[in-house]
Amino acid sequence: MIGALNQGKSVIETMLAVEAGGAKGHTPTSGGKFLTFTLGNEEYGVPVLKVREIIKVMDITQVPQVPDYVLGVINLRGKVIPVIDLRRKFGFPAMEHTERTCIIVVDVDLAQMRVMMGVVVDSVSEVLNVTDTEIEETPEFGGRVTTAYLLGLAKVKDSVKILLDLDRVLGSDGQLGTRAS
Amino acid sequence: MADATPMSGEPDNELGAFIADPELAGMFIADATDHLGTIEATLLKLEKSPSDLKLVNDIFRPFHTVKGNAGVLGIASIEEFAHKIETLLDLARSGKHPIGPAEIDLVLKTVDLLKLIIEELPARAAGKPVTDTSARRRELMARVDELIAGSTPPPSQKAGFTSPPPPSSNMDSDRDRGRAPVRDEQSTVKVDTKKLDNLVDMVGELVIAQAILAEDPAITGAADDRLSRRLAHVRRITSDLQRDTMAMRMVPIRQTFQKMARLARDLARKFEKPCTMTLSGEDTELDRKVVEHLTDPLMHMVRNAIDHGIESPAARQAAGKPAAAELRLRAFHRAGFIVVEIADDGAGLDTEKILAKGRAQRLVPDGLELAPADIHQLIFQPGFSTAAQVTELSGRGVGMDVVRRNIEALRGRIDIHTELGKGATFSIQLPLTLAIVDGILLGVGGDRFVIPTFAVQESFRPLPEQVQTMQGQVCMVQVRDRLYPLLHLGEVFNISGARQRVSEGTVVICHDSGRSVALAVDELLGKQEVVIKSLGEMFKSIRGIAGGAILGDGRIGLILDTGGLLSLVGKTTSQVAA
Repeated sequence: MIGALNQGKSVIETMLAVEAGGAKGHTPTSGGKFLTFTLGNEEYGVPVLKVREIIKVMDITQVPQVPDYVLGVINLRGKVIPVIDLRRKFGFPAMEHTERTCIIVVDVDLAQMRVMMGVVVDSVSEVLNVTDTEIEETPEFGGRVTTAYLLGLAKVKDSVKILLDLDRVLGSDGQLGTRAS
Repeated sequence: MADATPMSGEPDNELGAFIADPELAGMFIADATDHLGTIEATLLKLEKSPSDLKLVNDIFRPFHTVKGNAGVLGIASIEEFAHKIETLLDLARSGKHPIGPAEIDLVLKTVDLLKLIIEELPARAAGKPVTDTSARRRELMARVDELIAGSTPPPSQKAGFTSPPPPSSNMDSDRDRGRAPVRDEQSTVKVDTKKLDNLVDMVGELVIAQAILAEDPAITGAADDRLSRRLAHVRRITSDLQRDTMAMRMVPIRQTFQKMARLARDLARKFEKPCTMTLSGEDTELDRKVVEHLTDPLMHMVRNAIDHGIESPAARQAAGKPAAAELRLRAFHRAGFIVVEIADDGAGLDTEKILAKGRAQRLVPDGLELAPADIHQLIFQPGFSTAAQVTELSGRGVGMDVVRRNIEALRGRIDIHTELGKGATFSIQLPLTLAIVDGILLGVGGDRFVIPTFAVQESFRPLPEQVQTMQGQVCMVQVRDRLYPLLHLGEVFNISGARQRVSEGTVVICHDSGRSVALAVDELLGKQEVVIKSLGEMFKSIRGIAGGAILGDGRIGLILDTGGLLSLVGKTTSQVAA
């Protein structure tokens, strides 16, 4: 279903799936529905309750005096929302946007308030039902990888999805991860 | 009725209905606050003509409503208190008790106390600690007895406030209620301001979406009369809708003016400088946000006028003026702006003294001659005034520089007209709305920026010899005899593709708070009215950007903030980023 995202049709389909998942409550590190996406070769997941919609990359207005992972602002039907490049936030090497590049619009709870933000990812995969037993506690990586912003790791169908705590990822200043960019 | 309840403390159970029905509770608070405001304003009028029984009636009626509503919600402490004061008003309006300064004072204090009690109701309902008003209530209620005992006691005086209101009083209020519709009452609906702001936002978007559609090549290229007629129809409806929604955000300045009248009265007593305040144009409508942010500066200016502007009665008489000073507060429309003016007939500003002080504090360089209007602007400089005054002013929390900053934050300006010995007039000029700004579109590289038209002084294509360099860096632009610091927008904001040579682009001179800066941009793209949008929490610390605007093609253009840009002058890109 997600493969068709670029034809524009299944954005709505994805949205429907996202909304259906929204009916079920989710607490961190317990199972639930996650929207999965890719960055490089890695698969990530965010709780669908956080996701408002998925849009194609549109014109982004650059804003001066901000870290490079803040791409700027977009006009989402009259609302001005900031857009974050998750690649740069995690220290991945920058990549040209392709037709599979998407902006996931999410609700983020910062210290005082809830804000809407756009997150640029390489491609959106699917909405995945993750059971409690499939989630593993984040192992310690000996300080080489920051784990504070992870909800856990999910082993589904022989692949590992990294479940992100978006509030922490987007609420933190500076670049995360240890890869040199 | 409520007299059976002992007066100490608040019975905890009296808020049962208030808690059970939050909607009714909210309406009660809003209504009571409105009514108390009306009562306060009428009291000030009554003070001037104490024998006008119609005014007493105008006070009695809303007072009775507040009492009645409190009764409906079962808030016995308010009902009982209001009832006692109402007894006095009832005697007064039937001519059985004369109204004097003591009575007015008492009712004003009652209004203050009721405001406090009502304001704190939600906190009380939530179980939070609130001000204990029982002692003050008892005191005011006892005062009613004293006042009534002092006047010729009407026959049924005691019974009047220890038993339920006599039938006659009920009949009176019924009559009043029956008469109410005859007055030109306008029916209104109370709406959450958030909903209203949202609506205004959406309508703004609709207007822009309509413009985008109208400019679409597929439509402009189509030679179809019927289509363009239909589009024109949509445009008309959209702009009507926009005008009407904008009007919904407008509120009359009346309440703010009434607050000032009350403040002036209290201050006149405190400083023992009798003065009358006349209000005009209270029905002038302003954007709700403007009115909210106007209260503080106005309060400070009223204080200033009475404290510093108006002389003591003795000094006034010596100068051949009436002992009682006159303060005038006016609001009116002028050339697409709203003007709020506060005038006094006091001593006026001493231009020479201000200039001397300005020179002493090195705000004015020696030898520089200033026009009187420029000298008067000195009082808005931060830190201007003697040490003694600073302490006094800081005790109040606002100085004239704060007044100016508040006004400028509303995109307004403040001017002073004064004549020594005759008085001073401060006039504040404000835009009709804050939601929309008239802007000039600037292009730099591939980016577009909007600069508010009011901040722009002039723009031109500079000749190479107008651009001054220092140590190889472009830093100044000469216009006629003046040098302006130059800010290369493409460089400070690190925009790729911006023209490097200043003389190949355009220079825009803009000003803020009396300072100016020359902006080097690639080109001017035109004029446009834009809806101002906040960029949100994430970008609040960015200097030089006031917000974003959605442009005709749906993209976002950043709105420049001249004050912030001025703070960037002389900094390199790396310093700005850091």
